Amino acid sequence: MSETSIDPITLEVVKNALASIADEMALVIMRSAYSPVVRDTMDYSTALCDRNGRVVAQGLTLAVQLGTFPTVMGYVLDELGPTAQPGDVYIANDPYGCGGQHLPDIYLIKPVFVAGVLEGWAATMAHHSDIGGIAPGSIAVHATEIYQEGLRIPLSKLVDAGVESTMLLRLIEANTRQPVHVLGDLRAQLAACRVGERGLTALIERYGSDAHAYMDELQRVAERMMRAELTKLPDGVHTFTDYIDGVGDEPVPIPICVRVEITGDEVLIDLEGTSPQVEASVNCPVGMVYAAAYCAIRGIVRGEIPNCEGYMVPIRINAPVGTVVNPVLPAACGARGVIGYRVYDAIMGALAPIVPDRVIAAGEGGPTLIAWGGYHDDREPFGTTEVLVGSWGARSSLDGLEGVSNPLANLGNQPVELIEADLPLRVERYGVVPDSGGAGRQRGGLAYVREYELLARKATLTFRTDRRDHPPYGLDGGEPGAPSSNVVVSNGEARELPTMPMKAFVLGRGDRFIHASAGGGGFGNPHERDPAAVLEDVLDGKVTDAAARERYGVVLSDGLVDIEATHALRAAG
Amino acid sequence: MSTQPYRLGVDIGGTFTDVVLLSDDGIVRTAKVLSTPDDYARGVVDGAIAMLDVCGVAGNEIAGVVHASTVASNTVLEGLGARTALVTTKGFRDVLEMRRLRIPVLYDIQYQSPRPLVPRRLRYEVTERLGPRGEMWTELDEATVREVAEQIRHDDVEAVAIALLHSYADDAHERRVEEIVREAVGEEVYVTRSSEILPEIREYERTSTAVVNAYVGPAITRYLGSLVDRLRDAGIDAPLEVMQSSGGTLTPATARRKPAHLVESGPAAGVMACSYLGRLTGRRQLISLDMGGTTAKAAIVEDGRPARTSEYEVGAGINLSSKLVKGGGHPIKLPFIDVSEIGAGGGSIVAIDELGNVTVGPASAGSSPGPVCYGLGGESPTLTDALLALGYLNATQLGSGAITLDPARSRETLDRIVATPLRRSVEEAAYGILMLAVATMTRAVKAVTTYRGRDPRDFTLCAFGGNGPLTGVEIARSLAMRHMLVPPSPGVFSALGLLFSDTEHEVVRTLMLRDDEITAAALEAAFAEIEAETTIYLSGSAGARVRVRRFADVRYTGQAYELSVAVPPGPVDIGHLVADFVAEHVRTYGHGSADDPVDVVSIRALAAIERTSAQLYDPLAAIRTQPVYEDTRLAYFGPDVGLVETEVCSRAGLQAGERRGPLLIDEADSTCVVPPGCLARLDHYGNIEVELVV
Repeated sequence: MSETSIDPITLEVVKNALASIADEMALVIMRSAYSPVVRDTMDYSTALCDRNGRVVAQGLTLAVQLGTFPTVMGYVLDELGPTAQPGDVYIANDPYGCGGQHLPDIYLIKPVFVAGVLEGWAATMAHHSDIGGIAPGSIAVHATEIYQEGLRIPLSKLVDAGVESTMLLRLIEANTRQPVHVLGDLRAQLAACRVGERGLTALIERYGSDAHAYMDELQRVAERMMRAELTKLPDGVHTFTDYIDGVGDEPVPIPICVRVEITGDEVLIDLEGTSPQVEASVNCPVGMVYAAAYCAIRGIVRGEIPNCEGYMVPIRINAPVGTVVNPVLPAACGARGVIGYRVYDAIMGALAPIVPDRVIAAGEGGPTLIAWGGYHDDREPFGTTEVLVGSWGARSSLDGLEGVSNPLANLGNQPVELIEADLPLRVERYGVVPDSGGAGRQRGGLAYVREYELLARKATLTFRTDRRDHPPYGLDGGEPGAPSSNVVVSNGEARELPTMPMKAFVLGRGDRFIHASAGGGGFGNPHERDPAAVLEDVLDGKVTDAAARERYGVVLSDGLVDIEATHALRAAG
Repeated sequence: MSTQPYRLGVDIGGTFTDVVLLSDDGIVRTAKVLSTPDDYARGVVDGAIAMLDVCGVAGNEIAGVVHASTVASNTVLEGLGARTALVTTKGFRDVLEMRRLRIPVLYDIQYQSPRPLVPRRLRYEVTERLGPRGEMWTELDEATVREVAEQIRHDDVEAVAIALLHSYADDAHERRVEEIVREAVGEEVYVTRSSEILPEIREYERTSTAVVNAYVGPAITRYLGSLVDRLRDAGIDAPLEVMQSSGGTLTPATARRKPAHLVESGPAAGVMACSYLGRLTGRRQLISLDMGGTTAKAAIVEDGRPARTSEYEVGAGINLSSKLVKGGGHPIKLPFIDVSEIGAGGGSIVAIDELGNVTVGPASAGSSPGPVCYGLGGESPTLTDALLALGYLNATQLGSGAITLDPARSRETLDRIVATPLRRSVEEAAYGILMLAVATMTRAVKAVTTYRGRDPRDFTLCAFGGNGPLTGVEIARSLAMRHMLVPPSPGVFSALGLLFSDTEHEVVRTLMLRDDEITAAALEAAFAEIEAETTIYLSGSAGARVRVRRFADVRYTGQAYELSVAVPPGPVDIGHLVADFVAEHVRTYGHGSADDPVDVVSIRALAAIERTSAQLYDPLAAIRTQPVYEDTRLAYFGPDVGLVETEVCSRAGLQAGERRGPLLIDEADSTCVVPPGCLARLDHYGNIEVELVV
């Protein structure tokens, strides 16, 4: 079938069919998974690839994980593509040599054969609740080399021509603190791979060899649309530097330097100048850096671009080897996500001057990861990983959102009632923090706060947070959001903990941990904010009376805007 | 013949109100009147009176009136619900606003989330705390409740929702808060407790359900009051029942307490009609496809019963019956028929972008201005215009000649906007538009079949609504299904479902029994309690035969989502229960272990007063009296067949025997398209059966 005989309508049909298969895979994981981080937080992704291993459809899952599939598929094709056979399923999590992200993220990938011919791939990845290493949850910032982070699984056959590798499953089981969660979640991924295989097979049977022509065309359409969009942007070079706070008690900021160069219908994201890799687990394997760049560019262009790899072609990325954005052995990377989110923020910052009406001010900084682990009195292990998220930066004509996941990560929260039913934890508070959104013509989304009390005798707590010393930036005169905070209260005494501590904390019964995220950055001059909107925020307790006056120049009296006093105050300021 | 030989069903839609009258000799009469959005009750009663006048039936000859209403969903969609306050546990004022975080789109950084139905200023915290098993962590501080109640009194609200943490395990605190609030605000304010409307674990879903209930409560109370009064004034004194989202009906008294149950009232009616048809014709596996002017709704009927779900959001625009695309609306975790709704209907607008990508819907031309061919000012081509250009629609007969369609106008617009830019003929372009709409609707069908582990090839497609019979065969074909059924009067078939639904109510209780706590004794005691409770909600139907069905929501220990398993009457057999769960897990997810520990999370009792068996329905009676009508039209059936002179007949034209497509069967409210090669025949009940030939 030639390119010219492509029927646009069949193309749309095939596109929708592929998307619905990827969604169906995602549903199967959600409904049959075991761990809270997969089943409630939904920290997993699904995709379908064509026979050349190119992503051709994405489930409605995590943007930033979806962007890593091309990297891992490259290794799969090189190593196992030639020997793939029906009934195989491949497994990998190693950042070094097979495109993994951090060790908790396990990929399960199944080649799809129809009548003995390789026709495509069903791909899944999920964040598992524990894969061993120095602290429960396997995300400890204080790991200084990957050998401290848990089980590395190089690209392997979990299922070989229909026969499951009991050996490999037992090896995994023996290396996790949460064997029931991990094996249950792997089963869910396997079920999703089978659903992907079934759906893709039906599609191939229906359309025969035309199916490939249409999948190829989807890639071309996506690339064409992305190039057309990039062409509309003015050529030029734009730079921006953002930071993560750094690790330990005396953190040294880690710069993320971005240079965005638009030339014709292509864009180069150059990360030259970014910090060398560090001896802590915040090094970010390059797959996620690519993913963050794809998401940033995708977020600022228009049009219904198909969710396939083609749109990534005109986006070129230079991530220097040996830096935090492209680490090499033996760099630890359990808490790598924070770098990925900052790459996205830095690209947005660089793009802001050319497309101010399409960018978003910095949000909460990406998900906060909190891992609890310990043993009940009968030595049964308990543990959970929470991924907290939910404050957007403002947009040029819209306030930042609260209560909505980060744009890169469509994650859910875990119901308080389920946490308390399953774990020796009590959640004391979950809600927004007044005055934490960056002031602006459009206000940044409010930070959220979550407070826990430990009910067990003791537990180990590790976490990865950020954005205290470098709060989320505002744009176009908008103020930054409020900084984040981590507090432990023990025996009535409160103490502030680092954002990225270089150790695990051991908490005792009755101790409390309180995490407040950063707030989203504002957009535009706060004195240009509609006083009526400020009043609404004050009535809702999202902005205090004092902040209305000091930051927005709005004077309220008796539940109304004092228009004259507001004019006077704004004129003076 | 009894003295009250008639039952009346009234189904309100956005544009039309459908009225059906069934007499006990099995004859059905149908009518369509315009809806009256300013006061829907007026349209309902006007329609009923008009129907009775035409048929010469007196009000006191009506044995019962069943009604499907969009009032609850419209109240939310239009943001016109009550000013509502929320009382919640200290520390959790923002549960309603934090939601579950996920949103239904990827990559859209200009996204805007829906506003909570209760603004933050009206959300109040009280000091109290229970644990997950109802254990007392902090006593209820009644002083804080009184302060809050006093503030609420000053807030001038019409409704209050009360949702405290873990109230599913013990409702004592919520009950006490209700008493104190009630004392302060008086009887006029509508109060909902989360432990009454949804005693289930997961605070956001329970809170949201209670809030929706409170938000629509005053509007539903007013509406039902007005309806009952108007019916009585019109001389119709028969008991009124209201269709709920689960496909059962409610008494007005229960509907006023639990109006959140009414949100999908209309779509449920169509599925109930379909499930009745399935039982009548012995077709146990049906896919109900109801396609009207703006949306298509799909559901499955297995063994004569619709599949249900409790994952629903009101106000989300479209409902793909999938947890994945949640976040766009307000969750209601109550029993719903598992209806997947998607924005594709006759009025769906066809658009083409600068790169030649064609889309159909979800924007709709509605009934005003409507499709281009209506000549009412519509300038964007729609699916209906494409169907007309293909020759499928009869330009002069639609709606009993109410609207004359203008094919030339459709062709000109399609040519200019779609065909010419794509370098295709008008027919090719129109056929492509049909295929695109079919692909969209196919997603709705897949959402209730393949997404749930069901193979559509095991089902017959039952196509109705004005556009279902026009597109049904192609949807069936795209899913490799072999059979389609088109019931008589497909345009008002949905309303017929009202007459074949049972009065029912479901009571649920969260038990959270872990593996070793699951005993027959524990389950039997809990079932006995909730079975007794169901009868409260069926009051007003004394003396009738009540049948209770029992279900247990089971999961593997560690999972978050349960599968519902039927529990047969009599002593509970735990071994059976677990085996049934494992079988359902295998069927749904493709794997399951008989050895892994399980939890029983909740149990449900569904009590119903069954009436379906008592009703006769003889649609053939009407068809026998129809004149046979024969004609021909030019119609286009895809590039392989092209444009062919096609036979046209009325439904009565199939009485002589099976006919082979291409064939168009024109009716007052739709046309059934039988493409080349397919076979069409009438069954014993007047349904058109179309057999797809592979």
